[in-house]
Formats: sequence, structure tokens, C-alpha cells
Amino acid sequence: MPEPKNIEICVLRYHPEHDPEPAWRSYQVPCTDDMSVLQGLQHIKDEIDGTLGFRWSCRMAICGSCGMMVNGKPRLSCQTFLRDLQPGPVRIEALAHLPIERDLIVDVGEFVNKLEAIKPYLIPREPRTLAEGEYLQTPAQLERFEQYTSCINCMLCYAACPEYGLNRDFIGPGVIALLHRYNADSRDGGQAQRQPILNAEEGVWSCMAVGYCSEVCPKQVDPANAVNQNKAVSARDYFLRFLAPKGAAP
Amino acid sequence: MDVAEVDVAIVGAGGAGLRAAIAIAESDPSLSVALISKVYPMRSHTVAAEGGAAAVTQAHDTLEAHFHDTVAGGDWLCEQDVVEYFVGQAHQEMVQMEHWGCPWSRKPDGHANVRAFGGMKIERTWFAADKTGFHMLHTLFQTSIRYPSIRRFDEHFCVDLIVEAGRVQGLLAIEIASGGFRLIRARSVIIATGGAGRVFRENTNGGIVTGDGMALAYRHGVPLRDMEFVQYHPTCMPGTGLLFTEACRGEGGFLLNKDGYRYLQDYGLGPAEPTPRNKAMELGPRDRLSQAYWHEKRKGRTLSGPHGEVVHLDLRHLGEKRLRERLPQIYELAVQYLGVDPAAAPIPVLPAVHYTMGGISADGLTAAPLAGLYSAGECSSVGIHGANRLGSNSLTELLVFGRVAGMEAAAYARTVPHGAPTKIGALAEEARARALAILARPSGGERIATLRREMAQSMEDGCGIYRTAAAMQATCDKLAELQQRYRRVQIDDRSRVWNTEWLLAIELGFLLDVAQAIAHSALSRRESRGSHQRLDGFAERDDAHFLKHSLAFHDGDGPPRIAYGPVKITRSQPGTRAYGAAGEQADAERRAREDVHA
Amino acid sequence: MNLDGGVPRPFVRPMRGWWRRDPFFVRYMLRELTAVAVLAYAVVLAVGVVRLSQGEVAWNGWLAALRAPWSIVLHVLILAAMAVHAWSWFQIMPKTLPMIFVGGRRLAGATITRAGWLATALTSIALFALARWWQS
Repeated sequence: MPEPKNIEICVLRYHPEHDPEPAWRSYQVPCTDDMSVLQGLQHIKDEIDGTLGFRWSCRMAICGSCGMMVNGKPRLSCQTFLRDLQPGPVRIEALAHLPIERDLIVDVGEFVNKLEAIKPYLIPREPRTLAEGEYLQTPAQLERFEQYTSCINCMLCYAACPEYGLNRDFIGPGVIALLHRYNADSRDGGQAQRQPILNAEEGVWSCMAVGYCSEVCPKQVDPANAVNQNKAVSARDYFLRFLAPKGAAP
Repeated sequence: MDVAEVDVAIVGAGGAGLRAAIAIAESDPSLSVALISKVYPMRSHTVAAEGGAAAVTQAHDTLEAHFHDTVAGGDWLCEQDVVEYFVGQAHQEMVQMEHWGCPWSRKPDGHANVRAFGGMKIERTWFAADKTGFHMLHTLFQTSIRYPSIRRFDEHFCVDLIVEAGRVQGLLAIEIASGGFRLIRARSVIIATGGAGRVFRENTNGGIVTGDGMALAYRHGVPLRDMEFVQYHPTCMPGTGLLFTEACRGEGGFLLNKDGYRYLQDYGLGPAEPTPRNKAMELGPRDRLSQAYWHEKRKGRTLSGPHGEVVHLDLRHLGEKRLRERLPQIYELAVQYLGVDPAAAPIPVLPAVHYTMGGISADGLTAAPLAGLYSAGECSSVGIHGANRLGSNSLTELLVFGRVAGMEAAAYARTVPHGAPTKIGALAEEARARALAILARPSGGERIATLRREMAQSMEDGCGIYRTAAAMQATCDKLAELQQRYRRVQIDDRSRVWNTEWLLAIELGFLLDVAQAIAHSALSRRESRGSHQRLDGFAERDDAHFLKHSLAFHDGDGPPRIAYGPVKITRSQPGTRAYGAAGEQADAERRAREDVHA
Repeated sequence: MNLDGGVPRPFVRPMRGWWRRDPFFVRYMLRELTAVAVLAYAVVLAVGVVRLSQGEVAWNGWLAALRAPWSIVLHVLILAAMAVHAWSWFQIMPKTLPMIFVGGRRLAGATITRAGWLATALTSIALFALARWWQS
């Protein structure tokens, strides 16, 4: 085993049952070159202070549980390594802009409610029975939406979006990327049903094009792209309404 | 305590739980479904499955071939009628996932593509790049949102089943955000909580894979079947145990020892050829590959790394372009976690615990020997994996048997009324008091992490790739001691809101029970079969005495009682498990025999 | 609902001064601020049009004002701000466009940004050439 060195980890702690507001607390953690920030937190919980609260599971940047602010940046703690943060101290706090439930645990419910509201499932363009086999979809058609399927719902993009921090009604980057994923799928015919969600005040027009969401995304989903190309779609939809007053959007 | 009443309750919202919920909602929207998970559904460990899901697809493939690969791969400890049903349903489930939007990787003509996988004779593994489980889980979760009859209880931790009048009638859960209790009354319950890989030290599993559902059923008298069979995945990251999918080898990766030699040819898996041949060399089954590593290590032909002895997974000859297209996540993992560019250097790997073949005893229709209880997925032993699971059969299992569990639990729910509220309420109060007692333990006891570490180390020492009676006995003794010490486990946190330490303590109890079932089942099986390999005079398979399922029964405070049950053999009599050139010869002989009989 | 646990009390952190929290946000605010320079130059031009309509004396007065040192400084500042504005615009341009495929391959974001700069360079050169031709 590599020789451990100590590193100071400062955590923004908050317990709703006895803290009026969050406060920083510092821990000394032995750290080897291959240790992630998550492993640092696990050391604190296992050996120093069992009351520390944080979510984690897969350890391989795919379950989306362990997002947090590491030195002010939204990161997955499992794929952020202490060696890159030497000599410390490392400052860790709950994902920005989201309500803190306890310590590093934020409220995920708002996000999931939005995700549920955008009809995030295939609304078939042409229904097909199982006996007819799979829909045909060429690799080129798959490429048109594949990157948007890679979202792991880690919400780092929400912590990167000041608009969401200022107005938590905004549907936000990740969920709009998911909406676009279905609209852009050659098998899907649900765009007209989802369009009112994008057109609404909490839809794409709330975005002020900061672009940091795409910068912090650990899976290169590029949610800013999904949001901003739908501004054009939404604008077209708005003007087409005057041309076809019965609401026959494309 | 809050009370909710539903027709069917499903514990666990990973692939199997979601598939079951959708099956119920689609077939009968009037039935209410509670979907309970200690995490949000998309965090479930199905998310980490990489390689793919098996289903006979190509014109030159047959259900027969998938059946034989699975039964031989499981060293004939499979329920053959169940395997037959499984292979028959597999393709339809893949198409169903496609209709729900799963972004399967495609061939240029637009059809779903299939890749080669270990132990599979013909390419039949459907895949979505190297994130198949991730895409399946998100597709299922998002599809489940369509159905208003599915009521989710996200971040609810199930602490006990409510069993009354000889049947399961619901469960008690902690709402994690408040630490309050919620009784969910149900006419039937499906357990879909996944495996128990966290009982071992080095494992590929997420932190949530703690055998909760297995332990819940076990404590209520349901036997855990075939628990001694624990799969070591041969290519994992040293230190963390994170997985490098078998698809690395399906795409043509090599396993090399310290001399750069493809050592698998020395273990009956050859001949070594430059491109992958199915069921040979690197595409042999996982148990054989992990065992070969063990032998190489003993011969001093492995490389020393900071986290133990390793061999090399060499992907360099595939080239960066193909790696980025077919194995993007593997590429990212190697670069970020190990600082290794797989296009330029071989990846150091070693075997780590990956999968529990055994689980809650279930008949071919997923029913447990407790009325109203069903199980699906890794927590369940429906009988298709036998003594060793083939890669890409488990994702298919989630779908095929998730659906069956949903249909069966729904059918049962229609036949029984809800039980008497007073009796169920009283049982729930008792379970609540037991869970709260942990919070009230005096301080000065044992730390959770200490017990967990000792358990995991002991399991690795006694129930690893190769086993001996002495080492297994030592593990059994150690587990008994840990069970005693567990009663004095203490927690720092006595609050209720988001008390994750409290949940860890309860999980440790689940882990210890499952660990005992594994260790005692292993000790009692005096033969070698599949992933259970002994060095102490039981190195051969012994069909005369052990062509049987082991059944571990919970027995109060003592160790589990081990019994045995029959194995259903239909078409395939136990034969020699051969791979590589020898395997092809054996296959030809089998076909010739069958032609004569036909 | 009758849950017997603790009482969740989510804490919402204030947003005051959010734009100073990350260099990315500071750059963003700078980009937004450069829009003021665009506006300023539009005002300068609008004043010119008004002066033109008021006759030759007024027009010549406006031209003279443009040559004043403070005006030169203002124009240099506006030019710099416009450069930043254009730079940040081309940076974000790939994010505003649907995927573009050329010959079956997806156009990279950097290519789109470079194309934006190329178009700027070509139109600028054309404009200068036009101005030179007009003068001669």
C-alpha cells in the first residue's frame, strides 16, 4: 500500500434537528494517491464521526448519487481524487442551489418531480407490436439523441445553473436534456405533447445561457445545447401559431 | 406510524422491481402497486451493469444452444425447465425494452446489434455501448412514470416483512428523510433488492448491495438457496474492485501474465488465437478465468501492484477509435481511476466478487415457500444460474422474471383479502420497536465499520476463489463471533432525520445473516462445482451426493441449518464442462448423441 | 400523514453575490456587460443619423466630436468590448445549434466556433475593402 499522508477535509455540516444554519467542520484524513474524495468522506464516517451524512453507491460515476461541491465546483466525489487537491484543505459542501436536507444531502424530490412531468418515455410515432420486432434505427439516427441518453441524473448541472438557484421553478438543464432525448429519437412522436412544457415560463426561456451546466457535466451530455437549440424550436412554435391558428404545431 | 394500503408491494426499484411494477400496471391498472426503494430508482445497482443482455437473435442461433450454454455454464445445477422458459422469453423482452426506448446499439441496417460474451457459443448479447444496465434501468424507470397505479416510495428503507396468518401481508419501512415509520399493507410482496456482494472485501458492487431482501425473507423462514455460489469477476480494478466489463474480452481483449503470455491456454481454454473464439480463452466462463488467475498467482507469474497481485487486460490492439466507440466507459474508468490509457498500455486487473448466484428460494414462477411472497433478480434463486452464472444472463433475468413476478404477485393479490388491521398493526409495532432499539444502544460498544471490515475480510479468506474446510470453518466461527459483537454495535448518531448510520447498522445485520448462509452452505458442500472450488480432497464434482440445491434455513441465534433439495433435470444430463478446443469436441459429440436419439 | 420521525427542515442557501463565486460566472457577467458596449455604439450611430437630418452644420459637428480624444478612447473601449462579445458568442454558438452532420460525421463544436471567426474575418476584410474603395 502507498504511504498515506494526511489531508484536511472541511465539510459544511447541517443538521435540521439542532443546527439553525450550516457550519464548517474540519477533519484530518489519511490519504493515499488513489483515494477519491468519496473515500475520504467514508473514512470520516467510519472512523471519526458517524453522524456525517452523504449519499453514495456505485463508486464508478454511473449511479449519480454522490454529487457535491468540491472546492466550489460541482463534482462527483467518487471520480474526484484527493491527489489532485493536495495540499488541501479540501472544502466540501452540498450541491449548490439545492435545499440541504442534512450535511451533504440535498433535496432530490424537486428534480424528480420535474423529470416526471416532461413525459420522459417513448410516445411511439407508429405503434408496433412485439411480434413485429424492433423498430429500425440506424447508427446515424441513434447518434442524433444518444448523448442525451447519457444523463445520470446527478444534478451537477443544477448546481452549476445560477438561474435555477434564483428560480427553482425552472425545469433546468438535466431535465430539458432528457426531454430533448425523447424528441430527438426517431421512434418518438411526442414532441407536440412536450412542447408546451418547453414554451412555458419555467421552460427554455428561463435559461440565460450561462453554459456552465455543460462544462460540469461528468457524462458530456451537453445540456446547454439541448436547452438552447430548443429555444429556436420554441420560437418557431410560437410564430407558427399565428400562421396556423388552430395550434397545428409541426 | 403512517399506514398505506396497496395490492402489491415491491421492495427494490432496480431492473427487476421496475419490470415487475410495469407488468402489473400494464396488465391490470386497477391494482395498486407500491414500489419501495432505499434509494431513488435510477441509483439502483442495475445501473452499473456494463456488458449486455443475452437473447437468441441471429438466424443461425437456437434456443437450444442458449439453453445448453446456460446449463453447462451453471455446472448442471440449473433448474432446466426454468432455463428453457427463460431462453424462450428472452428475445421478446429485449424487443419490449426497445419499444420502450432503450438505446440499443445498432447494426448499419438499423437492427439491434449483438456481441460475443463469455461462455456463450454464439453472439447473442444485446448491448447499449458498455452501459447496458444504465440504459435499461433509466428506460424502465422513465417508462414506469407513465403508469399512475405505481406509487413510489423513494428513499424508504425496508426493515421487516409483516407475516401474519401464514402469509406475507406487507412491510415496515423507514422514510429516510424523516426517520419516521411507514407500514405498507399489501396482499402480496415482491422482493427485488439485488445481491449481497458487499459481504466480501473486494467487490464490484455498490454500497447499497447489502442483501437486505435476502435477509428479510430468510428471517421469516424462507430458505436461501445455493448461497455458496459466489461469482468472482476476473477483470476488476485493484483496490476498489470496480468492474472492467467482460465486453472488453468480447471485443477481443487479451489476458496476459507478467511475461506477456496469454496464460489461459494453460488451463484447458486454448488454443490461443488472435481473434476471440466464443467459449474459448478470454471468452471462457468467469469461474474458470478467476481460477486461472489464482493458479498463476501461486506460480509467481502475476505482477505485484500496490493493491496486490495483478494480471494485464490488454486492449491496445483494438485501437483508440474502437475502444472509444464500443467501450467508452471502460476507457474513461481506466484513464481517470488508474491513470492508464488502454489504447497505449495494458490495464492491471484482478478478480473481485461480482454476483451471488443463489438467493431467496423461488419456484419457476418466482414464488417463495411463503404464501404471498415472490422474488426476482439477483436476490432470487429462480434456478437459471446454477453454480456459475454466464455473463449477460442476469440482465435478461431481471426482465423475464421481473415480469413473471409481477404477473404472479398480481394474480395472488386478486385471490386474498387484506388481513386484520389490528394484528398487522401490532406486528408492525414490534418491528418498529426492534429498529428503534438500535438507536437506544448504550455507547462504548463496537463500531459498525470494524465489524463490517472483519466480516468482509473473513469472507474473502474463507469463501474466496478456492476453499478449504479449515478456512471455511474459521469464517463460520468468525461470523458467529461477529453476530455476538453485533449486539453491542453502537452508533454516534441518535437523531432521526437522514440518520444513515442507523441504516448502516441495520444493513450490517442483514449482511451478517447472509454471510452466515454463504459460509455454512459452502462448508457443507463437499465437492467442487462451478464457482465453489475446494482444495481439500473435494476437488471433483460429485453428482452422486451433491447434484442438489443447498437450502440455508435461519435457525434462531445459532448458525443456519443446511438442507438439500432436488435439481430439475429435463434434457441435459450432467456432462463434462469443457471449453476451448475440448469444448467444441464435446459439443459435437453431444449433438451426435442427440441426433441418434432423435 | 402520521409519521413519527424528526422534522425535515431543508436549508436554502442565499444567492446573494452568486456571480462572484466562480470564475466562470464572472466571465459570464463580463459577456453580458459587453452588451452595454453594443448598445453604446448603437446610440453613437443613432445620434449621427439625427444630426444628419438636422443639416450640414450639425453633421460636421458630429464628425468633429468623433475625432475628439475622449471619443477615440470610447471607441477603442467599445471595440475591445465588441471583440470580447464576439469571442464569447462564437464560444457558445455550438450550444445553440442543432447537431450538424457533414458527410455522415458530426461537426465538432470547435469547427463551428472557427467557422464563426472565419465569417467575421471575411466580412471585416470585405468592409474595409469597401471603405477603401469608397474613399478613393
